[in-house]
Order: sequence, then structure tokens, then C-alpha cells
Amino acid sequence: MTAVAAARFPSTEESRRTSFVGMVMALASWSMMFGGLFFAYAILRLKAGTWPPDGVAPLPRLLPLANTLVLLFSSYVLHRGVRKEADARPGALLGALKATLALGSVFLVLQLAVWVPLWRSGFRIDSGIYGSIFYGLTVFHALHVLAGLAALLVLVPGARSGRLRSGAQSRVRVSAMFWHFVDAVWVVMFVAVYLL
Amino acid sequence: MADTTHLRRLYAGADFHAEQHIHPEPTSFVSRYVFSMDHKVIAKQFLWYGLAFLALGGTMAMMIRWQIAHPGTAFPVLGELLWPESGGVMPPQAYASFFTMHGTLMIFFAITPILIGAFGNLLIPLMIGARDMAFPTLNMLSFWTNVLAGTAMIVSFFVPMGAAAGGWQSYPTLSTLAGQPGAGQTLWIAGVFLTGSASIMGAVNYITTVVRLRAPGMGYFQMPLSVWGIWLTAILNALFVPVLAAGVLLLFLDRTFGSHFFLAGAAVTKGGGDPILYQHLFWIFGHPEVYILILPAWGIVSDLLSFFSRKPAFGYKATAISMSVITFLSMVVYGHHMFVVGMSPLLSQGFMTLTMLISIPSAVFFLNWLGTMWRGAIRFATPMLFSVGVVFVFGLGGLTGLHLGAISSDIYLHDSYFVVGHFHLTMAASVLLGAFAAIYFWFPKMFGKMMNETLGKWHFWLTIVPITVVFCGMLVVGYGGMQRRLYNTDAYAFLQHLHPVNVWVTRAALFLGASQFLFVVNFLSSLVAGKKASENPWEVGTLEWTVPSPPPHHNFDEIPLVVNGPHEFSHPEVKGKDWLAQNEPIRSETEPAARAAAGS
Repeated sequence: MTAVAAARFPSTEESRRTSFVGMVMALASWSMMFGGLFFAYAILRLKAGTWPPDGVAPLPRLLPLANTLVLLFSSYVLHRGVRKEADARPGALLGALKATLALGSVFLVLQLAVWVPLWRSGFRIDSGIYGSIFYGLTVFHALHVLAGLAALLVLVPGARSGRLRSGAQSRVRVSAMFWHFVDAVWVVMFVAVYLL
Repeated sequence: MADTTHLRRLYAGADFHAEQHIHPEPTSFVSRYVFSMDHKVIAKQFLWYGLAFLALGGTMAMMIRWQIAHPGTAFPVLGELLWPESGGVMPPQAYASFFTMHGTLMIFFAITPILIGAFGNLLIPLMIGARDMAFPTLNMLSFWTNVLAGTAMIVSFFVPMGAAAGGWQSYPTLSTLAGQPGAGQTLWIAGVFLTGSASIMGAVNYITTVVRLRAPGMGYFQMPLSVWGIWLTAILNALFVPVLAAGVLLLFLDRTFGSHFFLAGAAVTKGGGDPILYQHLFWIFGHPEVYILILPAWGIVSDLLSFFSRKPAFGYKATAISMSVITFLSMVVYGHHMFVVGMSPLLSQGFMTLTMLISIPSAVFFLNWLGTMWRGAIRFATPMLFSVGVVFVFGLGGLTGLHLGAISSDIYLHDSYFVVGHFHLTMAASVLLGAFAAIYFWFPKMFGKMMNETLGKWHFWLTIVPITVVFCGMLVVGYGGMQRRLYNTDAYAFLQHLHPVNVWVTRAALFLGASQFLFVVNFLSSLVAGKKASENPWEVGTLEWTVPSPPPHHNFDEIPLVVNGPHEFSHPEVKGKDWLAQNEPIRSETEPAARAAAGS
């Protein structure tokens, strides 16, 4: 959407602000959807007598913790690459995009490393409410990570040719905002699903 | 007059114009009429789309009414075609899926496209002085996502076991695989998810457009109240439709992947979910949703009452602020839909108190409506008649809401036809009449032709009388104890004495349906052979009436400089006419600053 606004309107400060306002609203909307999911989790958790429910092994924590650090680091790398100061260094954006894409992919691989053994051990989405919440929330989030990766991937050709240089351009800025949002949701999810 | 210091500051921001270039008009048929990015074309697409679903949803309502008044008899003509195996009689499963889909289609595919899709799109850029929406492609995607959603809903009628039949709320367990084993419910979920996405895309676009693209001088309190209503609706849409999306997503997982979010009791073995959870998620969205539906109509009526009373809107700011307060309150009252689920009494009382608080801002703008008309030189054109109709039916709907917001009476009235009557008066009758007011009023601007006034007035009277009878009749039978959604009310001895009322409600409903043909005839014939509309046939001052009818592709040759409020009527210093356009400075020595700012 914002890419289109940028194409139709020259990338003036005014149109950048317009894209920014639109993206803030879109992310507010997205937050409410994840908010709804967390609300559902909270209600189910409050109603459950014991957590995890009897007979269910607790979830692993070490791998998800490592994964949280991977995502946080990717946000840091991306942020450095899209800062206005990065404008001056050719290739800074391209480097940041490549690093973020790599870190995001590592995140998804590690997620698989969490899901597959659990699934094999018989802990599935249909094995009670604990499995429903665990798979429902984490898989839905992983789909957003995929969407975020796609949004960053389409920036790569522009960054390579030098047409896109930094977050001063709306396309870069809103994609980065989406990536940070996905990371922030993960941090909440990690605390809520794995730690609490 | 607007304060002119902020005007010059705004106008000095020359960057503003850099953003709104005049784009060449698209030339191919597809880019012009199908995947158009012009907000005025998208508005027309939404209007046709919404009217088609209105006809479909209305026909279903007629059949539902027929079954209530004459159970076991065939609906004339259509019954034989739809259910030949039962001799034209509507089977129970079809009845359940009809009331389910009637609600779903009317809310998401008739009211939303007409009031929000069509008039939101038409009015926001034209009324705030912008060349288009902030994100035109997103606008186009919003419409076509909605078409995809509508297709899923229509297709669901033709799958084995038919369309969804668990009520428009689709509560589990009615909507789980146990209650609805067919694919219809899954398609319903897909349709709701998609139409929700379309609403969110539209909402993000609307909010951004209002925040960013107002013409210089168009402060928030210079905006017409129509824009206020649509803007507040967009905020609620952006924030609360996602919660419904979360709810139906979990329902989808339950149905498709065997998760247990809403399954409890014997349905599960290890750690159960909670069907009530869905009701929470649904109503967190659902209560804002009723305001999503009514706010555009409130805004439009607030403007039209002023336009046709030839007076500034009484308490303009108070109306805008009270609509905003209601928008906020609507976010924190959802529990009043769930008084009977066994909620903590403390929580119930909190929700009741917050609900009752809504009466205060509602009374403020309602009295402002009356104050606007009071001692005005009222012109009873068709849009005005429909606006007054909204004031009347919304008054009835609002007052009956009090009985449902109070726990002690709600416990008895819950799930009865009293509820059906109440919410139809507020979000069906009021919104429908508001939509008609808007269509009669802005048809000249949309299509460049006038609608026929005589047919319009007949349409009004032949609508307002039966619509009142239908929904007040529902209040009566509901108060008498009749439950919603009964397939055959005559089967219950304690309801049999209500039969004559039900028959009259059905007669009025069929009459109401028939009189809509006046509108169809008027709409279509005016489109073809209507009198050509002038630039400003209603003699009002909002910006859309300062450009030709229909407006050019880029709306404004020059972005207007706004110097007046939206309702500048009967100004003592204006000679020769009783209105003043929003960008028209008064030629008077008392306002040199405004003239300087306008560059005149």
C-alpha cells in the first residue's frame, strides 16, 4: 500500500509522513488482532486449574530464548541499516537487509526445531488446550515472520541497484516497521507462552 | 468564521501541494471501471454492490417473516423454486441459515458497503478538499477483497448442508463441527475474515486521509459532521474488526485443525477450552460494530438536518465531541451483551453503568438535532424527510436500548424479539433511512442527475410507516415473551395469542419490501433520464458542492482554502443567498485576515 503511495506521489517529506501515519494505523490494527489472541490465551489460562494441564510436559525454554535473541538482534541490525545516517554509506541498506533475512530464516529454522520434536512426541494442536494455544499462536506468528521476510526481500533489488538507500524512503521505512512489530509480538509471545 | 492565523500557517506549508498532483485520467476500461483507483468510481462500485446485497438480504427477511406468520405454508413463487421437495415450505435448516445469513449479509455486505464503502469513499476526499484517498491502490484492493468475501458467502449457499446456520454471531457450540458439520460455516469464517480485512484496509485509508489530506484551513472542527461520523467509524473498524478476526481465526482452527479453543465438556478429554471465550471476542468487536454501522448515518443526518433547516448545526462542536465520546464508550461496554452468561455481578454492574453513560452523549446530539431544526426555514425535500425519519426511529431504538442495558430488565428480555426490534430500529431502520437520505442527497453529485422528488416522497412515506410497524411490532411480541429464532412460534401454547401481531408485522414487512420498488424505479430511471444536476442543487456550502456534478477525475482544479465551517447558513452579512461555501470568504471589511489568506 505504502509502496504504491510512494510510487504515485513523489517521496516528499509530506508523503513520507502520510505513509507513516497509515502504517501506524495498520500496526495498531494488527496489534488488536494479536491482542485478541493474547486475551483468549489469558482467559483460558485463568480458567485452567493447573498450567500446564495435568499430564502435559512443560515446553522447552532454551531454544526459544535463543530464538528471541536472534530476532532482537535482527531488529537491531535492520535498524542500523535503515537509519538516515546509513544513507551516506553505499551498501549499508543492502547489507542490513541480507543480515536480517538471514537472521529471520534462522528464526524459522529454530522454530521448526522446537515444533518437530514436540509434534513427534505426540504433543499436537488437537491434544488439549495447551497444544491449541502453543501451535495456534506460534504458527500464526511464524506466518507473520514469513510475511515480514517477503516484505524485506522485495526491497533487495532496489537496495542493490542503489535506488533504495535508507529508511528515508517510505517503502524501506514501513517494511522495517513491520519487521520490528513482528519482533515485538514475538517477545510478548515468548514471555506469555514459554515463560509464564 | 474560522480562526485565520492557523490558516496562514497551514497554507504556508507549500509542501502540501507537492503531495497531491493531478494524475492523468485512466483510459482503459479495466483501469477506469474495474480496478479503478478513483475514490468516486470505487464509491459507485460499493454502492451497486451494497444495494445488490440489500435486495438479497431483504428478500431473505421477507421469507423469514413469512415463516413466522404462516408456518407450514409456501412462500409465494420463490418458495416453490427454492424448496420443491417440501412443497415450497421453508425447512428448519433453511430457516436457521436464512436468519444467519440475513444478519451477516446485511451487516457486512449491505450496510458496510453502502454507508462506509460508498459514502466514506465519496465524501471524505470531496468534503475535506483532497484529490483522492491517501492510498488509492489500497482502496481498490479493499473493494475487491470485499467482493472475494461476498463470493465466499454466496457460494456457501450451494455447498452440501447449505450456508452457515448458527446465528450471525456464530457462537460455538452452534458453529463448531458438532453444530455445523458442513462447509458453509467454514466459508462463512473465510468470508468474515476477508470482509474484515477489507474493512481494515478501508479504515486505515480513511483515517490517514482525514489526518493527512485535509485542505488548508480544514481543521477537525471545520469538517462536516458526515466526515466526523465516517472517521470515527473508521477508527472503530481499524481497532475492533481485528478482534473479530482473531475470534473467527480460532474458530477456524477448531473446525479445521482440531484445536480446542472453544470446545469444552464431553467434547474434549485433556484440558478444555471455553465456548464463552468466543462470546467475549465476538462482543469486544460486536459492540463497537453497532456504532461502526450507525456513526456514518449520525454524521450524515447531522449535516442534512442543518442543510435543509437552513441553519448552522445547533451545537456543532458538542455533536462532534459527543460522537467521539460515544466512540470511546462503545469500546468498554461489550459485557452488556453477556449479562446472562454467568458473569461476576460486579463486572455486570460495571458494564451496565458504562452502558447507561452512553445515554448522556446520545441525548446531547439528539437534542442538537432537534435544536438544529427548531425554528429553521425547513425545506422538506426527500433527503430531509429521510433524515427526520432517522431522528424518529433512532429515538425509538435508543430508548428501548435502556431496557436492555439495565441488568434487571435485560435478564427477562434477553434473546427475545424485544432485542431484535431494538437493534433493527437502531442499526437497520436508522441506518437504512440514513442511507436513503444520503443516496437522495448525493446522487446528483455522484451521477450528475437529479432523482425524482415525487417518487422520493412516496418512497419515504411508504417506508417510514411500515418500518415503524415492523420493528415496534417486534418489540411488542418480544415483551410478550417470544424468543428469537424459533422455527414455528405457533407450536408453543404460550405464544399463540401473539399470532395476530406476528401476522401484522409480516404484512407490514412485505409492504415495506414492495415499496422499495419505488426506490429501484426512481434510482434507475433517474440514472438514465434524470434532470441534469447543477453544481450545487441543494444550495449548501460543503466543498463537494463547489465542484461540478459529477466532479472531474482530480476533484479540485486547485486545492481549496477553507475559511468557513460546514454549515454557514443565513449569515446576516451575506446578501442575495442564504448559504456560504466553505472556501468562500465573506466580502467584508471585518475579516481582512481571511481575505489576505485567500489571496483575494
